[in-house]
Amino acid sequence: MRSAPSPGPSVAEADPLEILRTLERHGVRYVLIGAAAARVAGAPVVTEDVDVTPAADAVNLERLAAALRDLGARLRSAGEPEGASFSIEAEMLRTAGMWTLTTRAGDLDLCFAPSGTRGYDDLRRGASRLLVGKSLNVAVASLRDVIRSKEAAGRAKDLAQLPLLRRTLEQIRKSERE
Amino acid sequence: MLSGDLLVEARQRAGISQADLGRRSRVAPSLIGRYERYEVIPTFERLRHLISACGLELSFRLAAADASRHDEVLIERELQRTPAERLRRGLEAGRAFRSLAGPERGGG
Repeated sequence: MRSAPSPGPSVAEADPLEILRTLERHGVRYVLIGAAAARVAGAPVVTEDVDVTPAADAVNLERLAAALRDLGARLRSAGEPEGASFSIEAEMLRTAGMWTLTTRAGDLDLCFAPSGTRGYDDLRRGASRLLVGKSLNVAVASLRDVIRSKEAAGRAKDLAQLPLLRRTLEQIRKSERE
Repeated sequence: MLSGDLLVEARQRAGISQADLGRRSRVAPSLIGRYERYEVIPTFERLRHLISACGLELSFRLAAADASRHDEVLIERELQRTPAERLRRGLEAGRAFRSLAGPERGGG
């Protein structure tokens, strides 16, 4: 059983792009989802953490576990600002569909099957590999898939973003047709 | 109107193919494909019918138009930036809001 040292980044120290760089360095297959993906697509939404959907095969879970150890990932916990340690092993990651983590580079949410989708393979079909930082190319979920997921999730915070996301998609489609 | 994207979204949420939707709705799958690619724009009623065949309902409401084009301008500006610039600015804004929300890791 391996756990990571306490990360506890301050707001100023958090660097969500470092999370993506670490996942790339470890060869993790994943798709960037959620508000960050919507922002990359052009929706003027604010985001402060990174949500990803990793592939759930055994090899990828081993790589993901290694990346999480590298990032000093801990479970986000209201009672423990620094997060709670846990066993960062592929087998452990397999036991839950959703992991809300804090790392030395900021917060990271892992969601193996976002609402309204069937996970990595489903999202990868519509995803594009985009340059989102210096020498950092990542697979980003399509805005349509982000909308599909938020619509299906139906949480107040997701529904509140939908009009802006749909309007962004509409403007993208309009510019494609012009 | 986002007819093509709404149709794809509904079909994918239902987990069905164009052929499946064609059988359920009695609309030719080739025409469904053309709707999804915006080669043909369906009537409003046809779109509702197809979405209903996916087991979903197209809900709608009337809202006052935004004469200031507030969101439209923000989106246009954002679309002129590169994906990397968009993400960087989005994260910076998130960080700034979080700093305002409370000390250090507060704000969730």
